[in-house]
Amino acid sequence: MTENEMTSNESTEPTPSTETAASSPDPSGDPLIDQSIDVEGTDANAGETGKPVIESRDLNVFYGETQALQGIDLAIPEKQVTAMIGPSGCGKSTFLRCINRMNDLIDAARVEGDLYFEGKNVYDADVDPVALRRRIGMVFQHPNPFPKSIYDNVAYGLRIQDQTEDIDDKVETALKRAALWDEVKDQLDKSALDLSGGQQQRLCIARAIAVDPDVILMDEPASALDPIATSKIEDLIEELAEEFTVVIVTHNMQQAARISDKTAVFLTGGELVEFDDTDKIFENPDSQRVEDYITGKFG
Amino acid sequence: MATREPETGWHGEDSDVNHLRGRAFEATCLAATAFGLVSVLLLLLFVANDAFRPFSADAGWLATYAATVLVPLAALAVYYYRLDEPAGEVAYVTSGLPVVGLLLTGGFAVLFIELLSVLEWFALLISLVVAGGLIAAHGRLRPKAALERLAVVLLAPIVTVFGLPPTSFNRFVTDTAAALGLDFGLYYRVISLREAIMMLPFVPTDWVMLLLTLVLPVAGAAGWFVEQRRESRRDGLAVVGLTTAVAVVGVVAGPLLGIGTDVWLLVVTFAVLPLGVYVEGVLRRGEGVRGLAFPVAAVLGVVVGSVVTGALGFAGPDPWLDWGFLTSATSRTAADAGIYPAMVGSVMMIIVIVLTTFPVGVGAAIYLEEYAPSQGLMGKFVTLIEINIGNLAGVPSVVYGLLGLALFIRVLQWPQGSVIVAGLAVGLLILPIVIISAQEAIRSVPDSFRQASYGMGATRWQTIRQVVLPEALPGILTGTILALGRAIGETAPLLMIGAAASVRLAPNSFFDVASMMPRQIFSWSSELDPSFRHGVLAAGVITLLAVLLVMNATAIVIRNRYQRTG
Repeated sequence: MTENEMTSNESTEPTPSTETAASSPDPSGDPLIDQSIDVEGTDANAGETGKPVIESRDLNVFYGETQALQGIDLAIPEKQVTAMIGPSGCGKSTFLRCINRMNDLIDAARVEGDLYFEGKNVYDADVDPVALRRRIGMVFQHPNPFPKSIYDNVAYGLRIQDQTEDIDDKVETALKRAALWDEVKDQLDKSALDLSGGQQQRLCIARAIAVDPDVILMDEPASALDPIATSKIEDLIEELAEEFTVVIVTHNMQQAARISDKTAVFLTGGELVEFDDTDKIFENPDSQRVEDYITGKFG
Repeated sequence: MATREPETGWHGEDSDVNHLRGRAFEATCLAATAFGLVSVLLLLLFVANDAFRPFSADAGWLATYAATVLVPLAALAVYYYRLDEPAGEVAYVTSGLPVVGLLLTGGFAVLFIELLSVLEWFALLISLVVAGGLIAAHGRLRPKAALERLAVVLLAPIVTVFGLPPTSFNRFVTDTAAALGLDFGLYYRVISLREAIMMLPFVPTDWVMLLLTLVLPVAGAAGWFVEQRRESRRDGLAVVGLTTAVAVVGVVAGPLLGIGTDVWLLVVTFAVLPLGVYVEGVLRRGEGVRGLAFPVAAVLGVVVGSVVTGALGFAGPDPWLDWGFLTSATSRTAADAGIYPAMVGSVMMIIVIVLTTFPVGVGAAIYLEEYAPSQGLMGKFVTLIEINIGNLAGVPSVVYGLLGLALFIRVLQWPQGSVIVAGLAVGLLILPIVIISAQEAIRSVPDSFRQASYGMGATRWQTIRQVVLPEALPGILTGTILALGRAIGETAPLLMIGAAASVRLAPNSFFDVASMMPRQIFSWSSELDPSFRHGVLAAGVITLLAVLLVMNATAIVIRNRYQRTG
């Protein structure tokens, strides 16, 4: 699929990646020395990790009177896996749903602040959330294939977006990329609900990538699956990062450590406490709270 | 765990656990259930006995039919239940299909006799097909023109079925035609395709039109279905070919046997074709073939029974509910009284209700569930509306009758007691029920499907059209059919809008005065002749209940079918 490269290359002017919450100039610094000073400036790895494709600035989200996210500044690099971890209710899923404006569907939710996708604020009045979601696919916590055939599930996005040319080829490609083709190629007419949970989740991934989006958001995609299905999904995510920007929310810290390039740690109250390279976060976090969380002292 | 002494008695009768109140409660619930069921059953038996009068027959007649029909069928049923369940399924379907098929045949026969001629049907169908073709062609030619497409979708059926109202352009056309000596008798409006077909100087005979518009489409659909199922184009074509051949043979041979050609074509379409496809499938699979014995035994039993009773001179019963009752109008003498016009009235009323209440009710339900705001001042307003829809569902039916009287007869001046007024009044009565059940069905579609669809970049319309509605449709249909079952039995609104107490002729249009089954039954209940009150009334009640039963069974079949695949 060469269109994908084309669409990402023609993205708008590079936005400066200065807004990472807490970044360290040198990830190999001495772990014994407390480096909790916020360093404003260019991310040390910005050159090799790609330009940010999604960037939030002072993003606040309220559910009625409750504030779910507090002034989030975050820049998500292109074609990498960015993981978001944190305890329950810390707002990581809320942040994910802000990116493709799925929070619009909740009447009580209110968003303040800016969130840029390829340089355009997605909360501008002239942005159609439908158009936005056609560029940013999503995979949910529980596998949610439609009660249609396997083929129709993958073709759903292509049909609603009027991309019906070569639809058979596109469905096959998507299923192959989602590592599901070999298992289902003889039963494309069967109901998707007959598949196992892990297969259903890979089908949902195939459905999301069939329309060739730029970004794939994953909201705890493996939390409802057994370990074998989980490891298949993890392998798949790492492969997908070659072509797509992947943002994944997970409860499972080992999973974040295994598959992500960057990790954002949210802690209770909807704060982004630390955002950095995954190795840095897990080996030598700046914040004591993050270290406590990662080592299992709380959360 | 340390072993305890067994004689501590924790497990025995002398423990502290008290079951007495629970057992008493269980017994009371059982008694309540049994009381309710037994009283309803007794009432039904009583009415059925009055309607069929089985004991007016000779004992020999009853014994003969018990021996030829009841005993063999009961034996077969027990055999299927105990030993051969697939055959039981086959027996069930092969007995049910002809019944459903013959009911459909009867419905279409009444349609052609009372409502529209075969030519009118033909013209209407052709016009609709042409309209569909126009819409499809527009979709092909200009796939992106959304607004234009909406206009085409709305206008094409109107133009082909109803034509265009008078405009100055039409006036010019008609005047020019008149000046040339052509008078269509249409006065300044563009005639529709339907009217044009009706005016053709030469039209095909009825059976050709029926063959084209009913037999071939249904056979084509069955053939397509078979082709998909078996992945064999030959089998699909065979279905179409055989059906057409049987239909044409019947048209030629039918009159010799005294079967009307139209009736034969309907029977072929609705009974012979589905049964044939099903039986052929059973034979091919070779599973449950023994189930075919059930319908065969039923037919054989009836034939043998009638031969034996005829030969031995046993007299059959003299039921009130017989073929004559179903096909004749009410009369002053109880023996000649029938329910046919009221039955046609009821069915036409149901048609009006379906055409008006279903779209309005489902539309309202979709709006309330999918579009209406749930927060803020508007959300409170919507909640208020929903509560009041619930209240409206509980408003007594006589009030809806009064509403119908005031609105349709006093204000709109529509004929008192006409089918359309009855249909709209009763339709208003069940509208809240349809809305609530449709809301229920839409609400039961898991939110994760909507999330998935929106997450793919679907618009709200695409989500509703492609995900929510297909998933909710079985529930919506089930709820609507159950509501229609309520509608067909309503009496009070019919009294209020002045439905006829007794009519001799079935209504021929929706503006004709008509009687409906419950209204007819009500007027029989006040006849002086006791045989009306005991016999004819019971027959009417059984007919009404049978219609209800068929509708509810349809609802259950739809629900089960979709639950299995969904």
